[in-house]
Amino acid sequence: MKQAIASMLIVVGLMVTTPPAQAKGEGFNEVVKLIEQFYHVKHQGVPLLARAGIKTATTVARISGGPRRQIAEAGSVKVAYFEDQDFRSVAGYPQFKAQMGTALATNWSPLIQVASPKEQEQTYIYLQDAGEKFKVLVVTVEPRDACVVQVTLSPQTLAKLMQTPDEMGNLITTDATKDE
Amino acid sequence: MKLLTNTTLKAALLVLLTIAATASVRAQDARIQTSQLDALAAKASETVDVNIDESLMQMTARFLSSKDPDEAKVKALVNGLKGIYVKSFEFESEGQYSAADLESIRVQLRGSAWSKVVNINSKKEGSIEVYLMHVAGNINGLAVLAFEPKEIMVVNIVGPVDLEKLSDLEGNFGVPVLGIEYPRAKRKN
Repeated sequence: MKQAIASMLIVVGLMVTTPPAQAKGEGFNEVVKLIEQFYHVKHQGVPLLARAGIKTATTVARISGGPRRQIAEAGSVKVAYFEDQDFRSVAGYPQFKAQMGTALATNWSPLIQVASPKEQEQTYIYLQDAGEKFKVLVVTVEPRDACVVQVTLSPQTLAKLMQTPDEMGNLITTDATKDE
Repeated sequence: MKLLTNTTLKAALLVLLTIAATASVRAQDARIQTSQLDALAAKASETVDVNIDESLMQMTARFLSSKDPDEAKVKALVNGLKGIYVKSFEFESEGQYSAADLESIRVQLRGSAWSKVVNINSKKEGSIEVYLMHVAGNINGLAVLAFEPKEIMVVNIVGPVDLEKLSDLEGNFGVPVLGIEYPRAKRKN
């Protein structure tokens, strides 16, 4: 009996701790991996930042229902941070852009790509039609930090954001990562 | 033998007609290729690349409210458009792009459907060339080639363009504010 309970606990434990398998072409995981490999950096997961007192919109969206309107649909936010690491690369921006394009070519469409190689800042926004909703992937790379955010948006929200695509990345990233 | 020759001739004619029809469809497509400029990114101090394709344009037009005056205005602006594409490069110093880079854009705008409607050459303000694609009396696309010593920009709007409202599109959907007075878009004071 004890053995059966122990086995069950192990199974439950594995279910809780093992992240769900990501389908090929998912986008978020590929981009996080690409950044890690290209710049030789490591991302920090949400739990570490949550412990440090930063609440992501994943948490906020899960408990939302208040008057503040979230850009992202509830529970749809994925965030990966890269803090205080070196994002200078000899290969440079064009090669990173090309590799990201290849990684996302199957299921994602590039919406806007802005880069200031001198300032070492890059912003990419990719879109994926997900039936009744849209997935938006925002990748921001700065000299010492980077952030990957994937959110699901309603077409109504996306239509509004589309009017100023150059501000869209900042709005989504800020919304997904701001302190509550 | 005669039957075989006739059949072969008919097949050849069919192939030629298919090729001609395909060429005609391509000729009416106002989308211009700018990927050949991507190599400039390595030398640029700032690059911007905006791609809003037909499905996104249609989605935007569909989901913007007709009741909200601001959204209704934008909705009317983008209704029917098949794409907005912007590519720009800024450089630290002069001479980073060549005449061949400009020519790679212009060569696509020399077809019979395209006509140059604005040509501004100013050492101070830079140069701006605006091209319109006319198909069956309608404007089916627009291309803007703007350049100065340290900057090059290509704006391509695909689909039926309303020149009266075109300046309203500047500052929206990634279209930069160019301050161009388009033909027939002049407002009466």
